[in-house]
Amino acid sequence: MRNGMTRRSVLRLAAGAGAGAALAACGDGGGDAGADISGDPVTLRFTWWGSDARHQRTRQVIDLFTKAHPSITVKGEFKEWNGYWDSLATTVAANDAPDIIQMDELYLSSYAQRGALLDLATAAKHLSTARFDANALDTGRVEGTLYALPTGLTAYAMVVNTDLLGRFKLAVPDDATWTWDDLKNLGAQVSRASGGSVHGVQSWGFDTGGLNVWARQAGASLYDAQGNVGMPPDVLASFWQYLLDLTTQGIAPKPSVTIEQGAGGLDQSGTATNTAAFGTWWNTQLPSLAEASGQELRLLRQPGESRAPSPGAYLKPSMFWSISARSAHPAEAALFVDFLANSTQAGDVLLTDRGVPANTAVRAAVLPKLSGADKAAADYLEAIQVGPAPRVTPNGASDIEAILKRHTEEVLFARRTPAQAAAGFIKELQAEIDAA
Amino acid sequence: MSALDARPRKRDNHARPRKRDNRAAVAFLLPWFGGLALITAGPVAASFVLGFTDYNLIQPPRFNGLTNVHRMLSDERLHHAFGVTVVYVVVSVPLQLAAALGLAMLLDRGLRGMAFYRSVFYLPSLLGGSVAIAVLWRQIFGAQGLLNQVLGVAGVPDRSWIADPDTALSTLIVLNVWTFGAPMVIFLAGLRQIPVMYYEAAAVDGASRWAQFRAITMPLLSPIIFFNLVLQVIHAFQAFTQAFVVSGGSGGPSDSTLFYTLYLYQRGFNNFDMGYASALAWLLLLIIATFTAVNFWAARHWVFYDD
Repeated sequence: MRNGMTRRSVLRLAAGAGAGAALAACGDGGGDAGADISGDPVTLRFTWWGSDARHQRTRQVIDLFTKAHPSITVKGEFKEWNGYWDSLATTVAANDAPDIIQMDELYLSSYAQRGALLDLATAAKHLSTARFDANALDTGRVEGTLYALPTGLTAYAMVVNTDLLGRFKLAVPDDATWTWDDLKNLGAQVSRASGGSVHGVQSWGFDTGGLNVWARQAGASLYDAQGNVGMPPDVLASFWQYLLDLTTQGIAPKPSVTIEQGAGGLDQSGTATNTAAFGTWWNTQLPSLAEASGQELRLLRQPGESRAPSPGAYLKPSMFWSISARSAHPAEAALFVDFLANSTQAGDVLLTDRGVPANTAVRAAVLPKLSGADKAAADYLEAIQVGPAPRVTPNGASDIEAILKRHTEEVLFARRTPAQAAAGFIKELQAEIDAA
Repeated sequence: MSALDARPRKRDNHARPRKRDNRAAVAFLLPWFGGLALITAGPVAASFVLGFTDYNLIQPPRFNGLTNVHRMLSDERLHHAFGVTVVYVVVSVPLQLAAALGLAMLLDRGLRGMAFYRSVFYLPSLLGGSVAIAVLWRQIFGAQGLLNQVLGVAGVPDRSWIADPDTALSTLIVLNVWTFGAPMVIFLAGLRQIPVMYYEAAAVDGASRWAQFRAITMPLLSPIIFFNLVLQVIHAFQAFTQAFVVSGGSGGPSDSTLFYTLYLYQRGFNNFDMGYASALAWLLLLIIATFTAVNFWAARHWVFYDD
């Protein structure tokens, strides 16, 4: 009488279970960007991040382009910001990068200095940069080489839901003079008046825009000219102290709710779901927010600007067009980018969704046609007073938002004091820059 | 009793067809071995070499000797990730096995429609590692989720269980426990192997159910328990998808769900640090091998083989 299992059979079965890790190998370079446009059918892959409203506009532009160039097919691959960079790194590593890549200032150095992006000067035959002014073009250069074409300009703003303020009988603040304390007070009144269904302020501390503004209002900067971390620890600690106050005083939602919303993207944010009266955003996100919210949203200047020694606000290239260095069809990709960046036909559809157009001709053509949220976004950019733009994010620091988010979480959940988090953040970010 | 009587006869005519059986088995396994050699073995070998390099995914790797090993020693996030993973393994695996064994014993009593129940309980095992379930988990444990709506009746305030560092890991442990189906099916097969006459004899002697469980079921089932334990420990160390989806790839909030594999992934793909990530993959292999070896060593003291 025997049991079914013997010592040997167990060993044999267990030996079958092992650990494995998959890695990708890299391959060789791409085609010639100066070649003539092929008459044969060509398929281009184009990737971008964004909200639903952006996906719709972008697909319209793709249709316009392929109608004019029937031999070229453009396949769109669009994602939400959080997943976009994981997926881009994976496809680039697997030598399977999309041909046209929507790029951000955070990652430009990291990809360019590692040779993943095409030098756009080599594609000059198909891609004109004549309508961009030199300052705007420079934002796409890394060590002198143009790797990316700015789509447009954007600036950090405070989005206020005036319908919500009206419902609680509160006046819209005067953004020419308002302070950070005013934001706290107003936010507290909203939270109190709503009885918990709406919060005054949607907490931030997950993107570099808010951090840059805070540093610049204190006369400091996130990075110094050499590309090292230049943020003074006490300024950073005061940033987190402010966010902590918002949470502990009930002005912002509970930390776990804040963090869950932050992970959900624009469409699930407090502003888009009308559960927060104030929220920090880039001005050009207003059209997407307005569409998601359905209520009356307005852009306000950041609090504290009137008292700051120099403006916290600055113009950021909202994003860039770049082409993979390993694209098999760089000439066709350049032609498509030329259409995106230089054609008023595309500009008429995209409007200000990717920033107020950096191309001066497109901007002149588009501005009079704007209405509603698009017009408000463009007007905001004209109205604000800005200082010189901060230094481009150094190579190695592209992961700053993940580091920032983690330290913000530590502060909001009271696992570290703002001062401890500031010291930890600076040390970790500098280590990443040193290692790159 | 009839099943028992049949067994010795089966064993007798077992010897001759074995060779042919093996040939068939090899033929069936061949596609799998082919895949292993082509898709897995190459990258695994490559990762060993890459472990001694500085490799940013885009430019060619550069050898840097033991630098990656030195980095591991002072890498606080790595140590934290190891701790999170060990908690996950040590808590979720025993709970999962207990659930699996408990249900297997219930089902073994021969319920009507048992095939149906067996399938239903096995289902989570098939789904548990999938993105869809991880997304569902976010829905259940989110601020607007099912759990809060149920608790809301009792007046528990709004909070997100997956976005709170005190509870996020627990939700993932619950998810792993829920996928008890695979070990359950193996337990069920093992229980079927235990001769009914042992229980009958014990019952005649007046042994309680608990005494029967301790004196008959546990020892005779111990090789199966051991097998499941080894398998699930290895499996749990490699958990990735659930944490990745639930935390949006960050291992957050504040690194509370930073599994080892997730940290490895972050280094490799978010920080363009694939040389170090490769070294981490091999360290994980060593860690799993160590835990498995300890398991085998400990097995000598509690696993009962009657061969």
